[in-house]
Amino acid sequence: MNERIVTELIESFGKLFWAGVKVSIPLTVTSFSAGLLIAFLVALAQIAKVPILRRLVRIYVWIIRCTPMIVQLFVVYFGLPSIGITLNSFFSAWLVMSLSVGAYCSETVRAAIESVPAEQLEACYCDGLTFWQGMIYVIVPQALRTAFPPLSNSIIGLVKDTSLAYSVALVEILATAQRIAARTYDYFWLYMEAGLIYLIICSVLTVLQSKAEKALERRR
Amino acid sequence: MLELKNVHKQFGDNVVLKDVSLKVDKGDVVAILGPSGSGKTTFLRCAGYLNRADSGKLIIGDEEYDLKKIKGKDLLRYRSRVGFVFQSFNLYGNKTALGNVTLGLKVAQKMKKEEAEEIGRKLLKKVGLSDRADFYPSKLSGGQQQRVAIARALATNPEVIFFDEPTSALDPELTGEVLNVIKELADEGVTMIVVTHEMEFARKVATKVVFMENGEIVEENNSKDFFEHPQKERTREFIYKSSTWAADAQYDGSGI
Repeated sequence: MNERIVTELIESFGKLFWAGVKVSIPLTVTSFSAGLLIAFLVALAQIAKVPILRRLVRIYVWIIRCTPMIVQLFVVYFGLPSIGITLNSFFSAWLVMSLSVGAYCSETVRAAIESVPAEQLEACYCDGLTFWQGMIYVIVPQALRTAFPPLSNSIIGLVKDTSLAYSVALVEILATAQRIAARTYDYFWLYMEAGLIYLIICSVLTVLQSKAEKALERRR
Repeated sequence: MLELKNVHKQFGDNVVLKDVSLKVDKGDVVAILGPSGSGKTTFLRCAGYLNRADSGKLIIGDEEYDLKKIKGKDLLRYRSRVGFVFQSFNLYGNKTALGNVTLGLKVAQKMKKEEAEEIGRKLLKKVGLSDRADFYPSKLSGGQQQRVAIARALATNPEVIFFDEPTSALDPELTGEVLNVIKELADEGVTMIVVTHEMEFARKVATKVVFMENGEIVEENNSKDFFEHPQKERTREFIYKSSTWAADAQYDGSGI
């Protein structure tokens, strides 16, 4: 590794990091939030005893889990325009990733909700709370505590999955590295550097996860 | 002042409650006894609107509630007039003792935080748990949890409290502290309906005893007459078997 490469890596580090802050992290945060909401609704649909609803969400989970994310991305970004729906790169990636988080996390959320004794909801009713109030004030907070470790796993996975958005022309970390390398031909070092950025982001999340788990543990 | 009228409930073809009616005066402590599967818990759960009855009414004062369907505003008012204590406590795991008592006041009754907490602390003091206000349920013993649950049921100052086997999930050692709290409430004149297996409690605290079997009330009487002069053969048998385990044991003929 000569001096030129060192200088280049130092310069590109800022660019890659910025791509992470500006694109990958917002994509992760927004799609994870939307995905969690979907997961929660899907979990409720599974718990509710409405056969048609249950069947519909099963089909959704089945399709999302059993097709590759990159194929889904291609369908949305390259395929939908042919039927008149054009979405930009970021929104395409956001949509696909939200649906993916929703499908994968729905089982986690369902199991977590079911781990809270249903009798606590009855106690809520006796206190005059409605179903939704009981969910918000009593059931979901406890379910999230149980779901926290697996959900942390999912968000870390999602950070890395955002690199797939490279394939639909979203200029995130990997695409930025690729563009610089295309000019300098230092593919090895730039892709290593891109990996390093993911490593840093995910390490920070890992530390946050263990801190948050300890904080949650104190509140019970 | 409180009346349950023709409460009927069936699960499929299985009739669990056959038009059960019960009148309770203010200050009454009614113990409902009966073997498992007699419908006593279902009766209480229908009265507490945790199970929908197929038909039946609850009359409190001059207001009548349809136990098949209580709607919107009526339901909130009904909930504030009726308290419920569960066999397994069912405290909110994410709330402290104080948080458990005040949640309904804050969220459902829209009371201010300070006001709700003042009531909450007063009630925790009443059940002897002032020093446990900030403890989460997992840090409390079963008896303490059930006392918090009683304080929670008292929060809206209800006119009647339903207890579903309040001591059945407790260590024998801890039943006393819970029964004492219930007895104190009885002494204050709180109206209560208690489904229980505690014969001593029914004998000493209850003013009225109801014996149920097969979804019907077999016999009801004031507590003294119920135990001393049971009218029905089935009641006599139940009291005998529930109270005299030792006498029923086989004597092996070896002497003392």
